[in-house]
Amino acid sequence: MTGKRQNPHFRKLLVGYDGSPQSEKAVDMAFSLAQCLDASILIFAVARPPEPATSVELEAVLDDAREHYEEGFKKIMEKARGHDVNVQTAMAVGHPAEQVIHRAEVDGIDLIILGRRGRSMISRMMLGSVSERVLRYAHCPVMVVH
Amino acid sequence: MENVWVLASVWVGLALIATLVAIWFRISTALSEIVVGTVAQLVIGALFVHAELGGKTSWISFLAGTGAIVLTFLAGAELDPQIFRTKWKEATVIGLVGFFGPFFGCTAIAHYILHWAVRPSWLAGVALSTTSVAVVYAVMLELGFNVTDFGKAVLAACFINDLGTVIALGLIFSPFTAKTLIFVVVSVVVFAILPFLTPRFFKKYGGRVSELEAKYLLFLLFAMGGLAVWSGSEAVLPAYIIGMTLAGSVGKDHILIRRLRTLTFGLLTPFYFIRAGSFVSVPALIAAPLAFVVLFFAKMLSKVIPLFPTVKAFDYQKEEGLYFTLMMSTGLTFGTISALFGLNHGVITQAQYSYLVATVIGSAVVPTMIANAWFMPRHLLGTKTEEKSTLSQAMSKNAD
Repeated sequence: MTGKRQNPHFRKLLVGYDGSPQSEKAVDMAFSLAQCLDASILIFAVARPPEPATSVELEAVLDDAREHYEEGFKKIMEKARGHDVNVQTAMAVGHPAEQVIHRAEVDGIDLIILGRRGRSMISRMMLGSVSERVLRYAHCPVMVVH
Repeated sequence: MENVWVLASVWVGLALIATLVAIWFRISTALSEIVVGTVAQLVIGALFVHAELGGKTSWISFLAGTGAIVLTFLAGAELDPQIFRTKWKEATVIGLVGFFGPFFGCTAIAHYILHWAVRPSWLAGVALSTTSVAVVYAVMLELGFNVTDFGKAVLAACFINDLGTVIALGLIFSPFTAKTLIFVVVSVVVFAILPFLTPRFFKKYGGRVSELEAKYLLFLLFAMGGLAVWSGSEAVLPAYIIGMTLAGSVGKDHILIRRLRTLTFGLLTPFYFIRAGSFVSVPALIAAPLAFVVLFFAKMLSKVIPLFPTVKAFDYQKEEGLYFTLMMSTGLTFGTISALFGLNHGVITQAQYSYLVATVIGSAVVPTMIANAWFMPRHLLGTKTEEKSTLSQAMSKNAD
């Protein structure tokens, strides 16, 4: 026993990570919660291909995303060592909301934590808000960090 | 516009705008560049009567042509030879059906329903026969099908489909003469030698700051492209096959491919796609929108009707078969390359070119727009059916 509170409800946390300051805030929030609740964390990043995907550009986008997230994951893992929290990282390809929802179901996640991007009205109309879509379809509670 | 640098700044400025639009709306840069090219020409034409963006200027034509050749080479180099060796039967059958269905179907519809002449109808068949390897691959990555036998076979089939398109483009519109024979014989010899020669040459002289690899590849692409054009064919034909033959060697050299991508995206393809867009006539599209609608449905139906039973014949599930059949109905790059070839060689008119490019864009964009407008996670759609969808199972595998 580490002296942490055993919690039957929130044992697995998923954090949507895209390298933005908002998602970094979500990671910090997840660390605090995980320490209090003795929970494990999955840091989950999604590479979104341009639409419609075109030859060569798709591979380029995926390569860039892999490099970008690997660098971010490395920093998070270093931070995790100081927090005594069990952290795993993963990356998927596709629509961020869809992939987060699906991964949360597959892994039996108890709480999804997302950062709010605060996109412009046009951008939200065109792309939709990832956090709104996750809130709508996720099987578990969702926390949106402002 | 006579000042080269002013004209260059206009084009690169448009490329910059297109890139920003692509970033803001998360659309592909190629699509954004085509649209920006069309809008820019429309605006310039409206502001200054008879003014043009300069798409027919020789140096812009050269950069745009080089962009198409290098892009085609890189697309061919994405083939995984290992996958093709193990799945060549399914890939060949599905790929050929995916090519011949719309090739004959769209040709017939252009000729008999739109009353286009024979040669423009064949060109419509070629331009709409293409498929998008990238769209299929992106969806496979999302669903985890890229690691399944089914996914590998369909992906290899896309390459065969596009090979059919570039061969048809390269050979149909040129008379078969002694020059054609020389081109074919030289090509066969070069394609046979390259996979052995290239890795050895790179090993001995490559890896230096002088970028020998890039010069070697550009020399090959230009030389074979020149031979193709001399014989009355099209330069992208050898470029695609060179890409496929070097996929196992050059295609696996990640650093070299990244350097070529920088050259391609940074300088060459913006000229190609903006130029392709600048030739689209918006007034022609507005005057006869039905032609676009007819060609759009012709492409979709002539892909789906022959492909679906073929995919099913290889014992693939109904849902996944239909899904990938739909995915194979897209195609942006080779569609515009074929249409531009037709316009440049006087096979089609500017109005016909506009309908074909609009159809190519429509087939790439409409399914995505529908998916985004009525968003619902795909794996949740699968759970609505009583039988658990294999798509969901594949996604679970992907998540592991």
